[in-house]
Amino acid sequence: MTTASPVLTIDDLTVQYRARGRTVTAVSDVTLTLAAGECLGLVGESGSGKSTIGAVVQGILPADGSVTATGAVAIDGRPLVPVTDPAWREIRGRAVTTVFQDPMRSLDPTMRIGRMLDRYTGSADASAEALERVQIRDPRLVLRKYPHQLSGGMRQRIMIALALSRKPSILVADEPTTALDVSVQAEVLTVLKEAASDAGCGVIFVTHDLGVAHHMCDRLAVLQRGRVVEQGPVDEVIGAPTHEYTRRLMASRLTLDLDRSRPVGPVDDAVVAAMADAGAESTVPADLTRRWDAGELTWDAFVGETAALGAATGTPPAHLVSHVTRTSLSLNGISKSYRGHGRGKRGLHQVLHDVSLEVGYREAVALVGESGSGKSTTLKIAAGIEKPDAGTVSRQGVAGEGTQVVFQDAGASLTPWLTVEQILLERIEHTRTGAVLSKEARLALAAKTIGLVGLPPEVLAARPTQLSGGQQQRVAIARAVAVPPSVLLCDEPTSALDVSVACSVLNLISLLRHSLGISVLFVTHDLAAARLIADRVAVMTAGRIVETVPGERLAHDLTTEYGRRLVDASLA
Amino acid sequence: MLSFTLRRLASVVGVVLFLALAVFALGKVGNADPVRTYIGANASAEQVEQARAELGLDDPLLTQFWNFLTGAVQGDLGISLSTKHAIADDLSTRLPATLELAGWALGFAVILAVVLAAVAALGGKVAAVLRFVFFSAASAPAFLVAMLGVLVFYQAWGLLPASGRTSYGVYDDSTGFYVIDGLLHASPLYAADAIGHLILPAVAAGLAPGVALARVLSDGLGASMSSPFARTARAMGESETTILRRHGLRNASSPALSMLAVQAGLMVSSLVVVEQVFAWNGLGTYLANAIAAGDFNAIAAVSLILGVVYVVLNALVEVALAAVDPRVRLG
Repeated sequence: MTTASPVLTIDDLTVQYRARGRTVTAVSDVTLTLAAGECLGLVGESGSGKSTIGAVVQGILPADGSVTATGAVAIDGRPLVPVTDPAWREIRGRAVTTVFQDPMRSLDPTMRIGRMLDRYTGSADASAEALERVQIRDPRLVLRKYPHQLSGGMRQRIMIALALSRKPSILVADEPTTALDVSVQAEVLTVLKEAASDAGCGVIFVTHDLGVAHHMCDRLAVLQRGRVVEQGPVDEVIGAPTHEYTRRLMASRLTLDLDRSRPVGPVDDAVVAAMADAGAESTVPADLTRRWDAGELTWDAFVGETAALGAATGTPPAHLVSHVTRTSLSLNGISKSYRGHGRGKRGLHQVLHDVSLEVGYREAVALVGESGSGKSTTLKIAAGIEKPDAGTVSRQGVAGEGTQVVFQDAGASLTPWLTVEQILLERIEHTRTGAVLSKEARLALAAKTIGLVGLPPEVLAARPTQLSGGQQQRVAIARAVAVPPSVLLCDEPTSALDVSVACSVLNLISLLRHSLGISVLFVTHDLAAARLIADRVAVMTAGRIVETVPGERLAHDLTTEYGRRLVDASLA
Repeated sequence: MLSFTLRRLASVVGVVLFLALAVFALGKVGNADPVRTYIGANASAEQVEQARAELGLDDPLLTQFWNFLTGAVQGDLGISLSTKHAIADDLSTRLPATLELAGWALGFAVILAVVLAAVAALGGKVAAVLRFVFFSAASAPAFLVAMLGVLVFYQAWGLLPASGRTSYGVYDDSTGFYVIDGLLHASPLYAADAIGHLILPAVAAGLAPGVALARVLSDGLGASMSSPFARTARAMGESETTILRRHGLRNASSPALSMLAVQAGLMVSSLVVVEQVFAWNGLGTYLANAIAAGDFNAIAAVSLILGVVYVVLNALVEVALAAVDPRVRLG
């Protein structure tokens, strides 16, 4: 793959951002090379500096002094001073082009595709050819469309066509498929790989997803806090990671063959200890919880030991019941339509067709589907946020407090001007059980709950914006379970989080579910996450539940064509 | 696009009907007696009887409203209680005067807004200065700007006229729009003179709306210039000016268009003041006199006309919104 002259060399690159008198180092001493026709993956979690390196190569960082950089960059053998070199203006959009993450908003909504492309290809014929190269079947028709008339996958293909239309030496792909559904993701990646290799340009592939990187890249550079911790051919890095951080990333990958009986991902001792302390009053003894969380116990052993203890103390064991005995939530024949936006003539757009779903007492059910499948609408109806057009919802108040929702964007779901303690108190005061408690008891419950979700007590005094994404999601979960609901409704609670953080949140939800004895309805696009959390997985597409299978044997038991497609996409 | 336009126009008819009803009702619920306004407080009972019949006040209310409506459609707006003339005749020169002034004021406001917003969007120190200008100019009421304009450009420097619409006479076949008259008669001097008379009042009436518009446009531009599609254009190597022209302005224009309709409505009240300051014999002056005289017929007629103009303008803005944004048009 390597050729004599690399299209890109980066030597000792360090990049610092300056904001409000503080200097943050985003990239330190990074050295990389990229050959023509090669795909180099930059892998890491948020804050690893991977996108900053991409931005330096694109030459789109502001040269107004807010960003400073040292080191050397050469593109096509031409040396450039990073960030400040006036020559970036000629490089940008010519030698280097980019495919961004968000295809829904990266194209001008007021402009036809043809008008966008013609500017760079020169003619409508050339634009049509450019679309053919990204495997768009009816290019002439698509050229006449506006972006909002096309799907996310189509738009991302157009972004690729747009980027390659300039015949660049380097294509920067910044999380190009993260915003797409799994089944579309694989297609777009293939298109990107083939089109870039036909064009003979080098690709910088920025991603947080090791699986995607494995599929796409020839070489990988793993980044942590701005530094390259490991670099090499993709099979070596993935097959035999040498750095501890790479191993952590590998361990955080959610796959369909994970052992469901153990916590997933790297387990942090401090978190385990905090959870165990908080769990002391729960019906599951703390040391059992700790051992389960640390991975010392198999699922069967955990169930056996809690059951034995429960029988001895006369308290019912708060854990999974092997078969559903009672129903916590049931949806019967739910239909729902929304008014089509834009003109009224289009009338109603039906998002749910006769959906029926039961969540048993202490059962966890996952609802899996792609965007537009109606899974989030189902959750909103279960929560009572939306009213169904037809059908009934019944919620059994086992714990007496109905349902609580944990949303994807925890930051947005927490009131920004309240402290975490006030947020928890607000919830506690508005429940029947919480309302009768004394002030002291409420404070104690808030403190206990924050420990239960694995956060230190200092967090109580903080405001949501001072917390990381993972901490915010834990606070959102704490608010939901401070007074345990009978059903915890989770809407993609881990999708916006880094992989290792996502694992710990999944572990937390599993743990809480068992220790508090609550039911869970878990809405996700991620089959592997669904399989980890849920006893049963219901697959949804186009507003209907097409099949329901046990979580454990998800990969084997899904039989519908749609279900198989999801499994295949997740395996690839 | 055509069906969209037709549907908007259909809704205009409904709104105007309702407006006519409201304006008519307003004249009926007032406690001033229109007859007394018409013939004076000392008229005899017999004269009152006669005047009531003349004004059609003896008819049932429904008939009165029907007459008002059918009259209005045919251009008969009734008789002014204070000038004793047909209101339509009174307005035949005043309506064009106001429309001409309002048109120029709006035109000035739009140009000012685009220039201010574009300069601000491209950033730099100029942007900071402009933000200061935004705030100070937006807080100045129209009459203050008008008086300052008169003091500086008329009294101190003698550059611009400060009253009336023209220094010459009026053409016999005048359209009522003097600039157009000048052009129609191939008299650039006449047109230039009319424009000279328009500058100060148009700036006075258009400055605050222009600044308000600029702020909306500027916010919209800020959002679209930092949007992912602007980033795409940047990554494709486009310059900031090209991005502004090709992507920025169009995407920022939707909220600005809505604001334009709001500002056009608000401008009516500032025109009443501005016309007084510049002795501009238009609707504003007429309306001010009618209010002072308690002339409900004239108030109703002027309100109806202004209402129709406003509603039509709003419908046009909605059509323009659909033209600008394909998502509105194509759903």
